[in-house]
Amino acid sequence: MRALAIAATGMLAQQTNVEVIANNLANMNTTGYKTQRAEFQDLLYQNVEQPGAQTSDSGTLLPSGIQLGAGVRTAAVYRIISQGSLTQTSNPYDLAINGSGYFHITMPDGTDSYTRAGNFALSPEGQLVTDKGYVVAPGIAIPANATGVTINAQGQVQAAIPGQTAPAAVGQLELTRFPNEGGLNAIGDNLYTETPSSGSPQSAVPGSTGYGTIQQGFLEAANVNAVGEMTALITAQRAYEMNSKVITAADQMLQETSQLGGS
Amino acid sequence: MDNSLLVSLSQQLTAYQSMDVIANNVANVSTPGYRREEPMFQEYIAQMPPGEGETGKQTLSFVEDTGLARDMSEGPRTNTGAPFDVAIHGKGFFVVQTPSGNRYTRDGHFGLDTSGQIVDDSGNPVQGDGGAISISTDDGDIHIGQDGTVSGKNGQLAKLKVVAFPNEAALQKDGANNFISAATPNDATDFTLTQGTIEGSNVQPVVEISHMIEVMRAYQATATLTKSQEDLMGSAVDKLSQMPES
Repeated sequence: MRALAIAATGMLAQQTNVEVIANNLANMNTTGYKTQRAEFQDLLYQNVEQPGAQTSDSGTLLPSGIQLGAGVRTAAVYRIISQGSLTQTSNPYDLAINGSGYFHITMPDGTDSYTRAGNFALSPEGQLVTDKGYVVAPGIAIPANATGVTINAQGQVQAAIPGQTAPAAVGQLELTRFPNEGGLNAIGDNLYTETPSSGSPQSAVPGSTGYGTIQQGFLEAANVNAVGEMTALITAQRAYEMNSKVITAADQMLQETSQLGGS
Repeated sequence: MDNSLLVSLSQQLTAYQSMDVIANNVANVSTPGYRREEPMFQEYIAQMPPGEGETGKQTLSFVEDTGLARDMSEGPRTNTGAPFDVAIHGKGFFVVQTPSGNRYTRDGHFGLDTSGQIVDDSGNPVQGDGGAISISTDDGDIHIGQDGTVSGKNGQLAKLKVVAFPNEAALQKDGANNFISAATPNDATDFTLTQGTIEGSNVQPVVEISHMIEVMRAYQATATLTKSQEDLMGSAVDKLSQMPES
């Protein structure tokens, strides 16, 4: 009886669905988080009767065949790359990207990672770092005696130094883009790494064609739509229940069968 | 006597198959662009020679499965906000080029690959009017119009190909939300596309569950019939063996 196995694939798929929704809800307040969605596909079909098969010598054809499906599988869990809303924090090192692109982060082991979460701070050496202390590339050091830091929309970092009338340029932030952002690999801590399917990174100054701009004193909120997630959760839970009902029904039929000829 | 068991068996076999079809529908309740199926049965009449003490021919009516009816009605549309999620309203299919030829799908969840081509979940390029569609990072936000026009910041890039079949019943499912067809499709004319939405499965849970209960009960009834038929045979053997020898 195939129904048992088919319903089991349905339950597994809905379980994945609930897990993805749970992760979205858990990250509702995570800076720069992008909503994920589970995508399903039907499994291969077994042709019992081929549609279009000839049913007589005079060439009459079978209008529809019999194809038995094998259930469902999770094809992908993809991120919905849309802009999250910008919330004001007034912290000078909180940066939000308005538009597309990622901040480039140098990991402690020297590899590259990318993030949309711009909640940065200064290291003891005055370098701009993430909340984990990883350096924001290309490495921007704020002089210790700076009284104020301005980061403009084009990513130019300027520090006000006491005794100088003009602010000193101390660095230039860059944004990185990928041909296929959906293909980035999430490694946790709001960071992503390049994969063969994301394509190779391309960097430019913020505000260049196709790149977003930088907003100082703002953070990008998660793009999770709580109401949408809650309705999706209810739907997923009901779908799970229905699949388990199919298992119960198939089980009852098998039970009837096993009782045949028993007495 | 045996015949009633065989008639029951024919019903039970179709019940098993119906259950498989229903299970597949329920399992695919969240599969984008999935089309529900319903088994169709027909009566198969067999003429048997008259039994003992009967004059006319015995007519037996078996049941057999003849095919699956596919419900091609439109599924509900959900908003995802993803730029390459496109739902078709009306008759039509997207065309994806797989290594084993063109496939047709109603699942409009697409993305970009490394080279910027619009591809489906399996990485197969989605076909536009001039083959695969490439997007460059300089095109900015992509807009997909109601007629399938894909445009970026620098104007129109391509047009998504949407095709229709005169006879949709001849389409076969190929897994991975794709249909396969031996017939060459025409360009669809009667459709509108919506960007940022996905067409869901057209499985209606209430229908499937009530259908499932129906099949299960019919199976149980037949099983009861089979059982009483067996009892009848058993008691006949018992009674006949007790006949006094005279």
